[in-house]
Amino acid sequence: MESASLVEPTVVKLQADGKAFDKGLKSNAIGYVSNLVIAVASTAPAYSMAATLGFVMLVSGIGVQAPAIILISFIPMLFVSMGYNYMNRADPDCGTTFTWAARAFGPQAGWMGGWGIITSDILVMASLAQIAALYTFHLWYASPSPSSIGVLAIGIGWIVIMTWICYIGIELSARLQQILLTVEVITLAVFAIVALVDVYSAQATSAAIKPTVSWFNPFDVSSVSTLGTAVLTGIFIYWGWDSGVSVNEESEDSARGPGKAAVVSTVLLLLIYLVVTTASQAYAGVGALGNNAGDIFAFLGPKVFPKPINLILIITVLTSASASTQTTILPTARTSLAMARWGGIPKTFGHVNPRHLTPDVSTIAFGVVSTIWFVVIDILSPNNVLGDSVDAVGFMVCFYYGMTGFACFWYFRRELTKSVRNFFFVGIAPLLGGLSLAGVFIVGMSYYGHQKNNYSKDLFGLGLPDVIGIGLIIIGLVLGLIFHFTLPEFYSRKPEVADPQLLAQSR
Amino acid sequence: MSSGIVIGYDGSECAKEALRVALEVGKAYGDRVVIVYGFEINPLGGGEIHEYRSAVREVASERLKEAIAIASKSGSDGIDVEAVIVEHAPAPGLAELARERDARVIVVGTRGESPFRGALLGSTPHKLLHLADRPVLVVPGPGGG
Repeated sequence: MESASLVEPTVVKLQADGKAFDKGLKSNAIGYVSNLVIAVASTAPAYSMAATLGFVMLVSGIGVQAPAIILISFIPMLFVSMGYNYMNRADPDCGTTFTWAARAFGPQAGWMGGWGIITSDILVMASLAQIAALYTFHLWYASPSPSSIGVLAIGIGWIVIMTWICYIGIELSARLQQILLTVEVITLAVFAIVALVDVYSAQATSAAIKPTVSWFNPFDVSSVSTLGTAVLTGIFIYWGWDSGVSVNEESEDSARGPGKAAVVSTVLLLLIYLVVTTASQAYAGVGALGNNAGDIFAFLGPKVFPKPINLILIITVLTSASASTQTTILPTARTSLAMARWGGIPKTFGHVNPRHLTPDVSTIAFGVVSTIWFVVIDILSPNNVLGDSVDAVGFMVCFYYGMTGFACFWYFRRELTKSVRNFFFVGIAPLLGGLSLAGVFIVGMSYYGHQKNNYSKDLFGLGLPDVIGIGLIIIGLVLGLIFHFTLPEFYSRKPEVADPQLLAQSR
Repeated sequence: MSSGIVIGYDGSECAKEALRVALEVGKAYGDRVVIVYGFEINPLGGGEIHEYRSAVREVASERLKEAIAIASKSGSDGIDVEAVIVEHAPAPGLAELARERDARVIVVGTRGESPFRGALLGSTPHKLLHLADRPVLVVPGPGGG
């Protein structure tokens, strides 16, 4: 179906005083396939699995319940994403926790939400850089120690290159993204099928175990502490899925297209994660995956596939990590750009490069801070950058996703009793999502407060993930206080309540 | 119906060169010159799309004001000059706008970029040659080409 006009021009006519004026613009429409690609690519399945699966297996008392964790981790993310969906209606285009929390709870909460986004993204860069560096070595069949200087150097190079790519605005074409993602999904599927066939024909490793229904039952997880801590890790693999779903608000056929893309991407992701987790665990057993937590695909690849073919798996993890790096840097830079334009942080972060049209100051600042953080965590946790990063990111994601859930409930509080649909989807679901993430946050904090559960040595008597999580929230509060006094215009804004029109018009 | 000259403009040196040529052609035919700034926001970035879009639009408006100033300085009296922001990938955006306006010709500058960069990112003039349903005038930038 051809739309009436591809372009909706804005006329900037020359006026008598030589000034230009500007009419409103229509946003770009994107199609169903692009929606799907964005939602799945933002989650980066191959990288997410490589970075987390082994660490889920390391949570004490987890046993064979990893597939159950994958299933149950999705529920709070799904609930909060409903909040994302409705908060998006409060903004003309996509927003983030920063704008939404500022509307619902006031500018100070908005700042903390924005801080949560930015710090999660800085923390995850260390994990991305580490995976990218390790798998670059695996391409050449080299297995360096994760703490080696070579891994650090290649990881830093990776951050620099990806930051530069985002700075000059290089974008892969939509077609190429689709191809890469298709290869990624097919590779993971073939990997899982071959591994499962090997298990049932007794050709897998000696530690192989046949799957049972109990693997998928969350009620078989040994304790609440184990469940909460494993979900803290599990949340990581779904993180990013919401950004594809929020972009859906912009799509061509906003009545039908977005819902369909959200449902299909959700089912696709759940399936990939469940099948790959089950197949990996069945093939190698829990212990072996935990022992190779830093690079499970490099460990499993040559066992499941004959030697040169296993490289496809390595390359898939690398392309997935690149996609994930892009979907980390771009939205973070846009978030700090928006924060600067609203007046919540210094104005310079709102600068747009005149030639590349990218948020240049925000992008470069993000790259620099990420590099510094990668070096710092490499020193603090020489052998477990990955595990500590995933858990610290989990805490910050719980923090700002949880805040989004609460913000939705509170912003629309006067609309909730107007229909059963409003009550459950706009109120209860986001609230439950927020509450369960708060629960995961607390359980995780207490788990990593115990010395025996830490991967690396303690700091101030607490595990490194706890120190990072609490430390960042304290730094956020201090910075917030400074900005409160130095940027009074933004920080004196009052919270808003949803306009009843927002929900009425969007059936 | 009066025909027009559509010119793609991004404020670069080669775009200024192309603008100079477009104004010349416009004067020769008595055509309106439509100066177009095209940009596209990558939805993959997600996040605060609204604020990012307004920030880029501000840059675009600045560039177009400069273009209009150049046009009036070059003595464009007698011809109409119009400036337009098109929120679409530049090449298809230009081609489509030219078709809508039934333009006589589309004018674009080339940066004289390395072929590698062009192959990797795609160059606007190159794509335009395939997409446009009317003549395209490619103007080499100063020092390039």
